[in-house]
Amino acid sequence: MRSETTDQTERRMNESPEQKVTIATEGFIPAEPTAEAVMRIKGMDVYYGDFRAVKEVSIDFARNEITALIGPSGCGKSTVLRSLNRMNDLIPTARVEGSVFFHDRDIYEAGVDPVEVRRRVGMVFQKPNPFPKSIYENVAWGARINGFKGKRGELDDLVEHALTQAALWDEVKDKLSDSGYSLSGGQQQRLCIARAVAPSPEVLLMDEPCSALDPIATLRIEELMMTLKQDYTIIIVTHNMQQAGRVSDRTAFFSVDVDDRGQRTGKLVEFDATDKIFTSPGQKETEDYITGRFG
Amino acid sequence: MTDTRSHFHEELESVEQALLGVADQAERMVEMAVDAFTEGDLAAADEVIALDSIIDQTYLDVHNRWMNLMARQQPMASDLRRMSMLLHMNTTLERMGDQTVNIAKMSHATAGLPRVDKIAEELREMGDLVRAMVRTGIEALVRRDADEARLLPAMDEPVDRLNRDMYQEVVRAGSDPERLEWAIKAMMVSRALERVGDQVVDIGEQLAFLLTGEMAEFDEAGLERGTDVQSS
Repeated sequence: MRSETTDQTERRMNESPEQKVTIATEGFIPAEPTAEAVMRIKGMDVYYGDFRAVKEVSIDFARNEITALIGPSGCGKSTVLRSLNRMNDLIPTARVEGSVFFHDRDIYEAGVDPVEVRRRVGMVFQKPNPFPKSIYENVAWGARINGFKGKRGELDDLVEHALTQAALWDEVKDKLSDSGYSLSGGQQQRLCIARAVAPSPEVLLMDEPCSALDPIATLRIEELMMTLKQDYTIIIVTHNMQQAGRVSDRTAFFSVDVDDRGQRTGKLVEFDATDKIFTSPGQKETEDYITGRFG
Repeated sequence: MTDTRSHFHEELESVEQALLGVADQAERMVEMAVDAFTEGDLAAADEVIALDSIIDQTYLDVHNRWMNLMARQQPMASDLRRMSMLLHMNTTLERMGDQTVNIAKMSHATAGLPRVDKIAEELREMGDLVRAMVRTGIEALVRRDADEARLLPAMDEPVDRLNRDMYQEVVRAGSDPERLEWAIKAMMVSRALERVGDQVVDIGEQLAFLLTGEMAEFDEAGLERGTDVQSS
């Protein structure tokens, strides 16, 4: 995350009027049409060299909702998540076919700056990864590298706002100059969330954000996500099916196809309202996974 | 104390409030239904039937919300017991609404028939007793008061007695076929009110389960077997 964002430029992706779209319907039970979609994946395949890791994925991500990507190991859910802010670009052999729209601009189009994509589509990682700097600097960094030119007081306000959004301000306001490492695991992850929201992204990607946390810290992050969705569109990958149930509005269930040569390719099985997925899924494969009858 | 599951707990509270609203409405429907039958007020009977459709809608809504909570939130301990109570309440309150509809339908079935004053008076007394039980159940629930819930079996006793004695009143109604027909229908009204009383006791038992962690039926003195003092 550090290396690609430090190369930030002032270029902005062309914004287009937001579109009213409906959920794609190929191969799975559609959710109710949503409010506008902030991001849309259309017919996407992801390759690592010749290996097709994920095939034919189409999902719309609705504004101010939490969408969970769930499924067994190797189903490609993290690959799909990383395709949403071009993190896969960092893997030399990775290649995306199909389209990933941010509003109505394909982020894989020629001329699109991946760094700008990552500013608009922020990311929180599995393990809390604060910088070896003060709490204040961890948050201010995000703004500075995005060309923040305001006065110190304005930066102070921005840091306070981001830490407040991350539900961390009250715990750290009297020790902003302490190292980010001085915080507990759960606090460090909330610091990383503050850092991620400081550049004002529209979308937050979360890749197993609680897997390194204890149950209480996990619940705090989940509560935080429920609050953050008022301001952001959140897409989370989680191995914890119960977590997907607790926090998400919509759930995409991925599984794996194995061909004659034993090659495994991830696929989207079903995408629908989380209420539906967890009480009455439309696909037997989803039902089997949700009820523990898989493998 | 920080509530790390505030969204879940807010939804639980919201479901309970919806059911308390239904209980409140059920109490009014008991009053209206008894008035409809004893006074031949068919407009009131129709209103009871219309109100029941609102209860039915809430029943379906609560059922869906309950399913989603259970599937998604993994309730534990007192949250789990509260879920149990809410599911039971939802079914019970829907049936209470149905009982008032049964009474309302009896009002139509007896339109124009001569009434037996003594029976009408006893039905009104039963209605008042049952409404007091519903009110007590609601207050016990709101206050989370197991002792108040344990009053319900004793409050139900005179309702049961009046219902048992209704047979004798019907026999005493005489041989006039129209009076007799009204009186026989009145027995069915009495039975419906007795059922509502039992249903309120059931809700009280669920409340005691929520508060004590012990699931048991109340005996006539309002005591469950094996209660303890576990708080929630």
